[in-house]
This record gives sequence, C-alpha cells and structure tokens, in this order.
Amino acid sequence: MMRTKVAWFTLVVLAGSLLFAALSIPFGDPAMSDMDDYFIAHGQEQTGANNIVTSIVFDFRAFDTLGEACVLFTAVFGVSVLFRLRKKGEDYEYE
Amino acid sequence: MSDSLSKIIRTTADVMFLFITVFGFYIVLHGHLTPGGGFQGGAVIATGFILLIVAYKLEDFLGWFQKRTFQNCEMSGLVLFIGTALAAIPLGYLFFMNFLNGTGGLFGQAVPFGINPGFLNTAGTIPIMNIAVGIEVLGGLSIIILYMTTGIRSHEEGE
Amino acid sequence: MIEIIHILVLIGILITAALIVWQKNLVAAAVTFAAFSFLLSIEFYILQAPDVAIAEAAVGAGISTAIYLIAIRATHDQEVT
Repeated sequence: MMRTKVAWFTLVVLAGSLLFAALSIPFGDPAMSDMDDYFIAHGQEQTGANNIVTSIVFDFRAFDTLGEACVLFTAVFGVSVLFRLRKKGEDYEYE
Repeated sequence: MSDSLSKIIRTTADVMFLFITVFGFYIVLHGHLTPGGGFQGGAVIATGFILLIVAYKLEDFLGWFQKRTFQNCEMSGLVLFIGTALAAIPLGYLFFMNFLNGTGGLFGQAVPFGINPGFLNTAGTIPIMNIAVGIEVLGGLSIIILYMTTGIRSHEEGE
Repeated sequence: MIEIIHILVLIGILITAALIVWQKNLVAAAVTFAAFSFLLSIEFYILQAPDVAIAEAAVGAGISTAIYLIAIRATHDQEVT
C-alpha cells in the first residue's frame, strides 16, 4: 500500500523533528527569567497570597481570567442554543 | 441516561457526592494558600453533580436541583467577579486593583513574608474572585451536561 | 524511587494513548481516555504543577468522559470501511 508507506514516513519525520526540537532545548534553564524572578521575589508581599499561581492568575493577569469567564459563558450559551427543546412538529430549517 | 443505574452505583454516587463537594469547596476557599483555585474547585464540584446526573434518572435529578439554580449560579458568579473588579474604581484605585490587601478588614490581614503557616484571612480580593469564579464554573459546567442530557432525551423521544 | 514511578507513568501514558486509537468499542475508548487523563494528571503532579494536575483530573477524567458518553449514547455506532 502506497498510502500506508506515506503515512508511516510522515509519522516518523514528524516524530523525529519534534523529538529533536524537544531535546535540543536545555530543560529547566530559561534564557530570560526577569518576570519569573520578579514574581517570585515580590508576589507574596504585593498580593498577600501564598500561592503564587493564584496571585498571578487573579491579580497580576486578571484580565486573562475575565476573558476565560467570558469564554465559559459563551460555551454555555452555544450549548443551550444547540440543544434547545423543540416544540411538537417543529423541525430544523436548512438554508 | 434516561433510566437510573443499579443500586450499587446509586449508593456509591450518594456517598461520593458528599466528599467530592466538600473537597471542591475546600479547593475554592483555600485557593490563595494551597494549589488550586476557582476553576479547579468549580470543576471538581461540577464533577459531583455530573456523577448524580449519570447515576440517577433525569426526572429525579431535576426534582432535586432545577436548571434555574445552575443558571443563577453562573450569572451571579459573573456579576460578583465583574463587581469586585469594578468596585475598585469608586474607591479611587485602578480596575482590578487589589484594594483590600493589608487594610486589616475583610481578607486584609498582613501576611508574614516567607514561609508561613497560611492564614485564611489574607490576600485581599483574591479569595472573593476565587469564590466568584468557582460558583461560575460550577454552574456553567453542570448546565452544559444538563442541557446535553435533556437535548438527547427529546431527540430519543422524537424518533 | 521517584524516577521509577515517573518512567512507569510515562510508559502507561504511551500504552493508553495507543489503546484509545486502536479500540473498536467506543465506550471502552472513552473509559481508556479517562485512564489516560488520570495518568497525565499524575505526570503533571510529578513535574511539580499541582494546579494543572487538579484541573486535568477534574476536566479530563470527569467532565469530558461524561460528554463523550452522552455523545456516544446519542449517535449510532456504525463502522465505515
């Protein structure tokens, strides 16, 4: 089968390139860590929270959390429109 | 999920629902001290409700909790989150400013720097936002599953 | 000791990820996906990210499994060759 060979070749090339990209980066040694050092040094006294992740998510970058809440609301809205209860005899309209 | 499952599964769901809910509220309320937070705790509580939806009949579940309850949870969570963020503006601070931290009042206890035992009454507006996001995620994820179950139900009856 | 557990969890992630694709039964594939999410949350915990581990365990193993089971129930499984 030609398609099987092509699929295996693509899989091997993709896996090899991804593994090479992952192995060539030094692990646990970031090149730029100014923001990390600032958050670790001043996050506790500026926000009062012991958990630095929560202090970043809810204080330093709270706009991100606001967007996430809007995303969840939009998901609920979409599901409620998609799965709404239809009346008797009502059918979907296709354009 | 139109009929309830066996008695073993129902009893296990009854017992586990209590522990899952208590653990979820623990994660939400201790979000500023231990790993976790609003989203994780709300997802854990929603898992407890989904366990009840899967184990029992839909009519039984709708007799205990109405859809209106989860919708109100979602909306009140969003309003509390935005309201906490907007409440900083009339007090003279910027949007999303942590104005309760270090004032000594509600959630305003001064935190000792470094390793400390973890006091619950700290961190300003972060616990309030944790509770708001927890309520919102709890309502949202539960109402998604509830809508899907009822939609499937009407689809099966219509055929 | 922790290295042995780490390697075992990684091997389990590979095995369950392959089983999800190779399962013929859809319900079995959904349950295998729950096991995959559980092992992935243990991996996150070993890599010192407990926040992500809790979110993965709740959303991946709990809610998405329920969504998959509801979707499987609402559709017909018919193998297309």
